Amino acid sequence: MRFSDVELGDDLPETHPDISMERVKLFVKSAYMDFPRFTDHEFAKAEGLPGAIVPGVMSQGFLAAMIHQWAPGAKIHKLDTVFRTTMVVDTSATCRGAVTDLNEESHLVEVDLTMLNHEGVTSVIGTATVELAD
Amino acid sequence: MVDIDSLRRDWVGKEFHRAEYTIGQQQVLDYAASCGDTDPRYSDPSNPDFEAHPTFIGCLGNTRDAMTPQDFPGLGRGRSIDGGKSVEIHGPIRPGDRLSARSEIADIYAKTGRSGTMLFIVHRLNFFNQNEEPVATVDLRQIKAVED
Repeated sequence: MRFSDVELGDDLPETHPDISMERVKLFVKSAYMDFPRFTDHEFAKAEGLPGAIVPGVMSQGFLAAMIHQWAPGAKIHKLDTVFRTTMVVDTSATCRGAVTDLNEESHLVEVDLTMLNHEGVTSVIGTATVELAD
Repeated sequence: MVDIDSLRRDWVGKEFHRAEYTIGQQQVLDYAASCGDTDPRYSDPSNPDFEAHPTFIGCLGNTRDAMTPQDFPGLGRGRSIDGGKSVEIHGPIRPGDRLSARSEIADIYAKTGRSGTMLFIVHRLNFFNQNEEPVATVDLRQIKAVED
């Protein structure tokens, strides 16, 4: 995907990231976030959560991966997200994105991002500034 | 009522904490794999552009000491709300890099809506590599309800 291939309003191909316990355990160890609310369903329920939850920062990683899948070699300059509700580990999730601005001079594109939980509720919203190849 | 001008004068833009991190190759590989990102820049150490995933930096420095100055006043009522996180990349972060994370309160401001006045506190971590080159800025926005 090159800058000249992109048009305002283009949708990124949606992705369905793996939010299994196995993946979350790999994430929390690499991210200094090894806390039981992310990796232990029973512990999380005792804290009033619906189950172990996917770390918010991991959602950022999934959204960035979707951008790289859409435009291999793209360079993410900035990614800004707001976490609105929890996503439960061992359920399913969907990442979506759409191009909302194009800068002809810098070849930067703005992408609106959303991540939905297994019930179709928006769990994460955000934007990314991405540099595409000429 | 919270005196925003006074708070800003006392706290905004002043570095209050530093921490150091050494970036490990396996850590970088595991991070990208857990996010399902197969881009060789983040998943293949033999790639000439191999570096940490752009969102990896958002995981560093999430400690109380790094987020809030020790003598920062307790503001507002009730628990705070997560107002979001932004990661801005200034340069590549590679395995073996030694990063310095420098903390500051970047901004304090208030917004008033139907549910009253909310105070926004922007906690910032500025990351530099071993050559003192800026590599990333991470902002965490905290929201607290305050008395009108």
